[in-house]
Amino acid sequence: MKLLYYPGCTLKTSAKNLEKSAFAIMDALGHEMVEMEDWTCCGVASSLTDDDLMHHIAPLRNLIHVEDEGEDKIITLCDMCCNTLKQTNLRVKEKPDDLETLNSFMDQENDYNGTVKVIHFLEFLRDEVGFDVLKKKIKNPLRGMKIMSYYGCMLLRPREVSIDDAEEPTVMEELFTSIGAEVVDNPFKVECCGSYHTVEDKNLVSNRAYRITKFAVDRGSEAIVLSCPLCRFNLDVRGKEAEKLYNNYKQIPVYYYTQLIAVALGLDPKCCGFGDHAVDPVLLLKKKGVFEK
Amino acid sequence: MNKISDENVDVNALKLKKGDLVKEVEDLCGENLFGCYQCGTCSAGCPFVEDMDLSPDEVIRYVILDKKEVLNSKTIWLCAACYTCAERCPRDINITKIMEALRQIILRKNIDRTNLTDIPMEEKGSIPQLAFVCLFRKNVG
Amino acid sequence: MRKEYGYGKYDNVITALQFERLLSSFGPTEGKVSRPSDGKKPKSIGWIQCVGSRSEQLGFPYCSRVCCMYATKEASIAKEANPDIDITIYYMDIRAYGKDFQQYYDHAKDLGVKYIRGRPSSVYENPDESITIKYKDTLTGKIEESTVDMLVLSTAIMPNKDNKRLGEALGVDVDENGFFKQDSLLTDPIQSTRDGIFLAGCIQGPKDIPDSVSMASGAAAKAVAPIKDREKHIGKEFPPERDVTNEKPKIGVFVCHCGKNVANYLDVEKVTEDAKKLPNVEYADHMMFVCSEDSCKKIKEMIQEKGLNRIIVAACSPRTHGGLFQDTLMEAGLNKYLFEMANIRNHCSWVHSDDWNAATDKAIKLVSASVAKARHLESLTEEEFSIYPSTLIIGGGVSGMKAALALAKMGIKSIIIEKESKLGGRLRHLHSMFPSDMKSEEIIDPLIKEITKNKLITVMLDSELEDLEGYIGNYKGKIKQKEMKKEIEFGTIIVATGFREIDLKGKYQYGKNKNIVSQTELETKLKNNDLKKPKNVVFINCAGAMDEERPYCCRVGCGVSIKNAKLLSQKFPKAKTYLLYRDMRVFGKEEEEYYSDVLKNYHVITIRYPGDKKPEVVLDKNNPKDGPVTIKVYDDLLKEEMTIPADLVALTVNTEGGAETEKLKNMLKVPVDAAGFFIETHAKIKPLDFSTSGIYMCGAAHYPKNLVDSIAQAEGAASRASIPISQEKMKGEGIVSEVNEDLCRGCGTCESACAYSAIEMKPHPRDPTRLVAEVNRALCKGCGSCAAACLNSAIEQKGYKSKQINVMITALIEQGAAK
Repeated sequence: MKLLYYPGCTLKTSAKNLEKSAFAIMDALGHEMVEMEDWTCCGVASSLTDDDLMHHIAPLRNLIHVEDEGEDKIITLCDMCCNTLKQTNLRVKEKPDDLETLNSFMDQENDYNGTVKVIHFLEFLRDEVGFDVLKKKIKNPLRGMKIMSYYGCMLLRPREVSIDDAEEPTVMEELFTSIGAEVVDNPFKVECCGSYHTVEDKNLVSNRAYRITKFAVDRGSEAIVLSCPLCRFNLDVRGKEAEKLYNNYKQIPVYYYTQLIAVALGLDPKCCGFGDHAVDPVLLLKKKGVFEK
Repeated sequence: MNKISDENVDVNALKLKKGDLVKEVEDLCGENLFGCYQCGTCSAGCPFVEDMDLSPDEVIRYVILDKKEVLNSKTIWLCAACYTCAERCPRDINITKIMEALRQIILRKNIDRTNLTDIPMEEKGSIPQLAFVCLFRKNVG
Repeated sequence: MRKEYGYGKYDNVITALQFERLLSSFGPTEGKVSRPSDGKKPKSIGWIQCVGSRSEQLGFPYCSRVCCMYATKEASIAKEANPDIDITIYYMDIRAYGKDFQQYYDHAKDLGVKYIRGRPSSVYENPDESITIKYKDTLTGKIEESTVDMLVLSTAIMPNKDNKRLGEALGVDVDENGFFKQDSLLTDPIQSTRDGIFLAGCIQGPKDIPDSVSMASGAAAKAVAPIKDREKHIGKEFPPERDVTNEKPKIGVFVCHCGKNVANYLDVEKVTEDAKKLPNVEYADHMMFVCSEDSCKKIKEMIQEKGLNRIIVAACSPRTHGGLFQDTLMEAGLNKYLFEMANIRNHCSWVHSDDWNAATDKAIKLVSASVAKARHLESLTEEEFSIYPSTLIIGGGVSGMKAALALAKMGIKSIIIEKESKLGGRLRHLHSMFPSDMKSEEIIDPLIKEITKNKLITVMLDSELEDLEGYIGNYKGKIKQKEMKKEIEFGTIIVATGFREIDLKGKYQYGKNKNIVSQTELETKLKNNDLKKPKNVVFINCAGAMDEERPYCCRVGCGVSIKNAKLLSQKFPKAKTYLLYRDMRVFGKEEEEYYSDVLKNYHVITIRYPGDKKPEVVLDKNNPKDGPVTIKVYDDLLKEEMTIPADLVALTVNTEGGAETEKLKNMLKVPVDAAGFFIETHAKIKPLDFSTSGIYMCGAAHYPKNLVDSIAQAEGAASRASIPISQEKMKGEGIVSEVNEDLCRGCGTCESACAYSAIEMKPHPRDPTRLVAEVNRALCKGCGSCAAACLNSAIEQKGYKSKQINVMITALIEQGAAK
């Protein structure tokens, strides 16, 4: 079965390793994932004012193109894209009048019929692959690795588009347990990383990264595992920069969940693009004996 | 006691369509601010509250009392739309949307918060693209 | 429940009901406060209020009504027992709305319970299993984190999930929250949506004990009405009593195993054997359950066979089982006061469950003391007196009228006396009612019509009670109706005299400017269309309430102010309305929803002010009498002084008991509190009764009350007042006090010691020049206070005479010495 995939801007630039490792996993699990044709930017931040329909055009156009390809499901890797597409999808389903306005505005495009389901890659792994199936394919369990799962905002909120319980999600915990890691609970797992403030206020974001990481380290976490490319940048890069702001502070490595699955499946580490991280992710894997020293 | 030190926007010169700030905000976001019990849940859970001049519940109070200086508050620009307040509000008020409405009141007067040329080149190379799009969406109308 | 407070995830987060179990001596920790995770005593406990309640998000938009006070109670108990535990309650509004609730809340603060206004956002667990709470203290404005060893959640009260099914089965409507719907909230809160089915307690909405008990009594009255003409149950017939005066005491002792309850903790056989050795004990035996039918039969047989004339049961408490055994005695032809009980369960096996010998030894002593007393037991008589089949209702407001109608439906006559020239009471001056906006005349007019038509109800307008004599069942009252005086007879009395607004004595410039009015005045103006169009309206709640002079909350003011704010906003949509309050206390059914709707739909601006910074009303210098005024108020949440110009100020004035309270108190000989409200026998379990038999209260005479609660109470009071009347005759207590007139010096000490007004000083029957105490056997409850108080030992309490008590003590001591 062919599965359609929507990348978004960041997956093609600063988060190539997220995309590459995801494709490698799909390959190993025997699924064919194909990038959709003719995609555009999702618009990133979903429109929050009621009268602003303009900003629903970009996400809606992408949904139309999924229908154009004859598909009814689209997988996303980026949390922001997933959230934006889901919110627009929901809005046009709840307000048919708005859909009509948007459809008639985009006269070059086909009308959207509301048939597309937007799912996040994590949802695909949980609901369609199944963590018990995944567990059976693990060759290289991450035994002894204590990690904090970090959800951030866009996977969980607003609750209408959440992939799990908005306050106590478990999807990552279940995933990481199935690949052999030990998950250390952390209340900051659902708190914002600082988001786009990383552009204009580095220190604000470094502060966030410090707070989140410090809490994780105090409870014995050795790594943070997450899904969103912006969260990765903020915790990894801005977290590393926080070492200059706080004495005796050392940033722990930050992984995408796809990278750890790839490692656990015993795939070629090259698909993980570990070189793109600010804090070396390989050291810990070696220390834990997952990689040979 | 004035909590807001910025005076970027001349709030008195802003012509509000509906007269009262609260009406303008309610019109933009569709939320009823008067449902607020001022319990502070939103503020206690806000990840940026320490850097804010007004906490989110105070922003609501200012709008209700038609204190237009709220439009000069740092808070509305610090809100990164993480939706934590909206998720937890016992009164089911979407505070995230209220913050956006306040930003929009300014942005729609063609007043930008961010000057694009101020961002250094090397940052442009390393920061994920989505951060820029997001920033522009929030700060440059 | 939402998950951000960690319930179900963290061991040390529990619900308030679970905490209640921890405080209970029969609970899992036998009353010791300890953390679930490690059983250690917590150093600090936090409470979060409104977990679920008052929340639009979770589908519990209503106030759960009882949590503020139960949290305060739990915190107070925990704090009193463990002053070293640090206790904090996180709240939005403390709803201490009931009688003495505010004082209870103030007391908790004095004990050191901390109250923080702020609803926590989330909590997390620390490695030592303590819980950190993130909150904003909205009164300091600070965002804080606080760590406690244990966290208690005051969770929303939910209707039973089967209510819908039960409602369907009964054919009555259930509201969207799952509570049963009443026919009409404001006129008939007890009546369900189907004839013949009535509501009591929390089925209708969250409720505390007194309100539930009142409603339950009211429901009983309504349930009796349709079956009032059926043949009444007549008590058991007993064989004639055997005269034992000249018999020598022949005592039978029956020791109970109570299954394993007693027998597993002490030696019942030894207790029985030892009893057999005591003088005058003719027979002793032990049984599995003495209260079982077989055992009672055995007792009767032994009374016949052995000629027993005194019976002792060594088992549990006479409070629960005494009556049953007394019936057994009567069935065997013995006077029921020839019975004595030794409580070897509660006093021996329960409290000494870890010491077999001590428990056995104590049981033996208790039995021997009972035997000693039994030798001196006498047959007692119970006086029978008739009941005059009519009830006097003082006060013709809604409560009084509702009570009269409830009585009439039960077939009982009543007389309403009303001091004014029309029925209707306070509602006559009001515009409409909270929380369903029904016009007051729509409520009282149909009632007046129904009353006038009803032949069982006599209405006396312009009337006042001048004098009262008699006791339950046999009252005579002198009524002054204008210039005429009438004498009437009745069997029971219901006091429904309502409340009045207090005299503010010029506070808030009241009385000095015509734009400053009380809520009642405002409503009268609204009703008569007598208001100029205002621009800025300011409501000031708690005027003269919850301060040093009057520490109590008026219970109804918040609702009234919200309703009037809505009325004004509807009438004058352009006016700005400000509502100045201290805690928003809207707690009843549909009230929270009403409040939130008014705020949302009419944009009423609420300003919370602190108790120590009361709002100030400043008059215009040039036009103090008629001009606009300025209100200065400190906004507690914004922490700023605000100045509001106002051309209409409505004061929510505190309340006190009706004007006639003082006079009635002396006539009825009933107690009244400092605020002029009548004091009930027991705040929780007897909220409608005075301690004097035959007199009951309802409505705001007890404490200010909204209409819903007043009606429930009125129908409840009717139910209480109907009981003696339906019985037609009453038997007094056998155990009553008896005055030795020759010893009595007429000092009156006993009269003031009597809580039931059963003693009066009367001339000595043979020497009319001196006064002696006389006990009214109809009113005496046999409590013994007078006997203990008498300085000259002139009063004996039957069944507990000094001699009877002394021999018990001697028996206990001798037994002890013999050992």
